[in-house]
Amino acid sequence: MTFANRRAAIVGVYTTEQARRIDRSSFSLELEAIRGAVEDAGLTLADVDGLAPMVGSDHLSAENGFNTTLAHQFWASQLGERPLNLVVHGGGSAQLPKVAAAVSAGLADVVVLFYGKGARYTGPVDNPAAAGRAPRVQEWSFAQSGAYMTTWYALWAQRYMHEFGATSADLAEVAVFTRHHATLNPASVMGSRGDLTVDDVLSSRSICDPLHLLDCSLNNDGGYAVVVASEEVARNCRNKPVWVLGGGEGYYTDFYATIDDPWFPDDGKAVRSAANKAFGLAGVSREDIDVANLYDCFTITTIRDLEEMGFCKLGEGAAFVKEGHCRLGGKLPTNTDGGLLSNSHAGDPAGMPTIEIVRQLRGEGGARQVPDAKIGVSLSQGWAVHGVAGVLVMGTD
Amino acid sequence: MPYLKALPLPTQLNAPFWAGLRQHEFRVPRCLNCGDFNWIPYPACRTCLSENQEWVTASGTAEVFSYSVVRQSFGAFSGDVPYVVVLAKLTEEPRPCIVTANLIGIDPEAIKVGLPIQVVYEDLPEEDLTVFRFSPADA
Repeated sequence: MTFANRRAAIVGVYTTEQARRIDRSSFSLELEAIRGAVEDAGLTLADVDGLAPMVGSDHLSAENGFNTTLAHQFWASQLGERPLNLVVHGGGSAQLPKVAAAVSAGLADVVVLFYGKGARYTGPVDNPAAAGRAPRVQEWSFAQSGAYMTTWYALWAQRYMHEFGATSADLAEVAVFTRHHATLNPASVMGSRGDLTVDDVLSSRSICDPLHLLDCSLNNDGGYAVVVASEEVARNCRNKPVWVLGGGEGYYTDFYATIDDPWFPDDGKAVRSAANKAFGLAGVSREDIDVANLYDCFTITTIRDLEEMGFCKLGEGAAFVKEGHCRLGGKLPTNTDGGLLSNSHAGDPAGMPTIEIVRQLRGEGGARQVPDAKIGVSLSQGWAVHGVAGVLVMGTD
Repeated sequence: MPYLKALPLPTQLNAPFWAGLRQHEFRVPRCLNCGDFNWIPYPACRTCLSENQEWVTASGTAEVFSYSVVRQSFGAFSGDVPYVVVLAKLTEEPRPCIVTANLIGIDPEAIKVGLPIQVVYEDLPEEDLTVFRFSPADA
């Protein structure tokens, strides 16, 4: 006996409205996204035999929460009261490669990955001091130092700037090209605000030096879903299949509590490992990529993504951006939807980079379409600066 | 005025670390098999996987590995901005111990990567706890 070795494709994608504040429950946004993505594929919910909730819930509740493995208890029942063949649990950043692998192996035929956040604040929060006493947190938590995600990425940026001579203006260039792409995406949260200049970024207020407000991703509401199906199913779907050519996941702590020196080793960490795996399985080289969507929670992240994905050498990410290679018309059009910086960052946006690549490869990019895009790559990462990564290389016939 | 910022919930595994802070000692686990330090403390050495580790008192001296000046904050930290979060690389080696903490007693403009710093302690008797921060090293 062996597992199947069949092709898997992305056959359906859907994004709900993405906006600063949506007065709906997370569940409602997720349900809209699931139905929308299944319909986009030309399938019905009865065809779905696997789920990939980006976060957990519990037995009885629709409200999502982090890192519980009980999500099937709610969702399998809610979506039809019938057995499923696959539920992929775990953090969002690296689910799509294993969903595609499971479909390829024959564990399931049609799997929906989904996430939604509505009317729920996820930014830095204090643990409210109950009854005038100090709250207690995990013993190495940076909350004790008044640090939060932006602080953490600021520490990363500061060290990077120290080692490689990059400047705040270099980081700002990322926000500038990404915003420009958002102006070409009518669904983006920030596109209607128009283009940014480097000076706009540098004169926005500092949140955690060296990161300014416009170096940070958005914190908005929204939902999305992605449908992955076997080749047999994909051939009969409504849209042309976007084949998963290769994928890889990478894990490494890269966490503020366990940093190594050097922090930027030549041989890379999770993202490098995931990218090498994905490109290797796909038999595709970096030069073959027509369009990329790389997780950009902060401007520094894009620069590091480019290096770790192998699109340029260590320390050359800022120059790569400055030379215009990431712009539409450049040699590696990147984050063409406006990214997490200017399109949408709703809670856990790990599926969004893949959705934009699917739209580009289908030719649905509108004003931001990369002409003749045939092969694309997405990267999602999270839970540490570059600690968990998922890379998908995709292509059309 | 009570201390209202987040405080650690010490675990049994790391009880010697928190006991050390009360004596104004910064203790780090060192592997008795290969000699590497392990920060944060792990149940087994991250180099050789030996569970045979000892708590040793570190020098408390370090240098700034990276830092950020926090200018927007929340809750009990709101009134403190700007304040500094530092990644402090302890003098001890091999295997770098890079510790996340606040850096106090310095003009944010004067901070540079590589600046010598040292551990300082703050006793919180009402919480039955001592916490640590870094400050510029004595001249």
